[in-house]
Amino acid sequence: MRHRPLGRAGGAVVGVVSVVALAAALVPFRDHTSTATDALALVLPVVAAAWAGGRISALVTAAVAAMTLEVMFLPPFNTFKLDFFDDAVALGVFTIVALSVGTLVALEAERGQVAEQRAAEIEALYRERRTMEEEQQRLAAEKRALELVGDYRSALLRSVSHDLRTPLSTIRAVTSDLRDGTVYDAETRDELLDLVGDEADRLDRLVANLLSLSRIEAGSLAPERQAVPLDELLTDRVRKLNRVLMEARVQVDVPFTLPLADADYTLVDQVLTNLLENAARHSPSGGTIRVRAREHDGWIEVSVSDQGPGIDPADQSRIFEPFTRGQGSSSSGVGLTICRAIVEAHGGAITVHEADAGGAQFVFTLPVHRA
Amino acid sequence: MPGDLVLVVEDTAAIARALRAALQARGYWVAVALSGAAGIDAAATDDPAAIILDLGLPDIDGVEVCRRIRSWSDVPIIVLTADDTEHRKVEALDEGADDYVTKPFSTPELLARLRVALRRRRSVDGEAADPVLQVGDLLVDVPHHAVSVGDVAVDLTPKEFSFLALLARHPGRVLTHRAILQAVWGPEYGSETQYLRVYASQIRKKLRDDPGSPRLITEPGVGYRLVDRAATAEG
Repeated sequence: MRHRPLGRAGGAVVGVVSVVALAAALVPFRDHTSTATDALALVLPVVAAAWAGGRISALVTAAVAAMTLEVMFLPPFNTFKLDFFDDAVALGVFTIVALSVGTLVALEAERGQVAEQRAAEIEALYRERRTMEEEQQRLAAEKRALELVGDYRSALLRSVSHDLRTPLSTIRAVTSDLRDGTVYDAETRDELLDLVGDEADRLDRLVANLLSLSRIEAGSLAPERQAVPLDELLTDRVRKLNRVLMEARVQVDVPFTLPLADADYTLVDQVLTNLLENAARHSPSGGTIRVRAREHDGWIEVSVSDQGPGIDPADQSRIFEPFTRGQGSSSSGVGLTICRAIVEAHGGAITVHEADAGGAQFVFTLPVHRA
Repeated sequence: MPGDLVLVVEDTAAIARALRAALQARGYWVAVALSGAAGIDAAATDDPAAIILDLGLPDIDGVEVCRRIRSWSDVPIIVLTADDTEHRKVEALDEGADDYVTKPFSTPELLARLRVALRRRRSVDGEAADPVLQVGDLLVDVPHHAVSVGDVAVDLTPKEFSFLALLARHPGRVLTHRAILQAVWGPEYGSETQYLRVYASQIRKKLRDDPGSPRLITEPGVGYRLVDRAATAEG
């Protein structure tokens, strides 16, 4: 790439015009100036032309300048003649110097231009590389996110198919047996029918959890708040879960002065169902499950504690993550995740601690209803 | 057979209860173990006639339970596999399980498998030394390399004969591809299941098996079993 800010023609025009202007300015004084002064002054347009238009412009300007010097400043004036040998030498030297200076200036300008261009190219390449790297990082992050979603989906599918199949196994085992015409006494028959009923209820609760999970994932879990009497909700839920809680003693401790909660009845019911089912699953036979509710600084604090093995402190932070199951647990591993999402959607928080009696204690908060 | 003790090793209490009721209604005695460790203990102390073993146990892996029980006992073991343990049935069979049933299962089918396992145990106990194997109307005379169906003699190649005799020695029981390949072809074999497909189809043809209900049954992805059609129909 050549350095020619004004192009060849432009450079030549600048050079020639400068020569004419300089000549016009110097001619009135030509009798008082030396030939060297005139010649040096006329080198300037050559330098300007070389910078503005490159070597060819410098060449053209040097020729015009040499002719101007000869005609206008070397006696006899206004002719192409030369009177003295010295003047001829001066003209020759001027021409050579003007050409050389012009060429050198043009070359230097070109070199500077090339260096600038290189720098710009390097800068552009560097920027392009940065952009590519950023793009690569973005793609890698996207891939990781997709992989995580994939892992999550397959974990969900595994968990769900396992959880759906366990109650189904019992139901199918019992119904296929009854269909086979096996004769049972009334007591065993009732027990088997209860088994099927319990497992159907379990499936129902599981499906409710899955629906909530899909609403949580879709970001459409919006509590429909109303004034909820927690004592009634709790008593009702414990009664409905009586077969799940059959092997434990359940203590409900809710003062009748407890204010109403500002919450979605169905969703809070689901939180309690999951926590109670979880407590029953980990309770020893005959153990006590304690449900307690208190008002505290404008919030209602509900706790559910069991006398099971408790939760390892190391696991307490990840127990609310999806598909985390306790040791030997047969749960789906989504119940507590749903509890957390529901409680947080109400602006509350849920935590797990070691209960006083040694088992696990889940505590969650709900806002008090302001009339 | 009614009066036998059946040990159910199953951690899902509801299924254990359902199985207990079904077994008791048919006159079996039932012991239930809710974990692998309890199952191994019960297998050792109660001397059950058969074991129904869930593979997805919380404490010890079901295949490991099977391996440990097999180390001292040849009690028939029927494994229950769920979706997440389904692929491990071959492992369990290789570790000596006699049969498998996939959850959700039908109780009558599980009980039919149990009856076959119990009958086989009795026949093994009683006629272990008998060199002539009988599975329904199929007779396999091991010393004479002779096979007949009813009164009709069947001409088999040596490999076909070994394959059939192996299955006839364990009537009703699933033998895995690997077990058959190693017993008939040699210990360096194990994955050449295409051989078995070809031989099984030859044997079926020669025995004139009814394609709708063959004696030689393919258990897809697992192996083969030889059944007494008359006995399964009545069971």
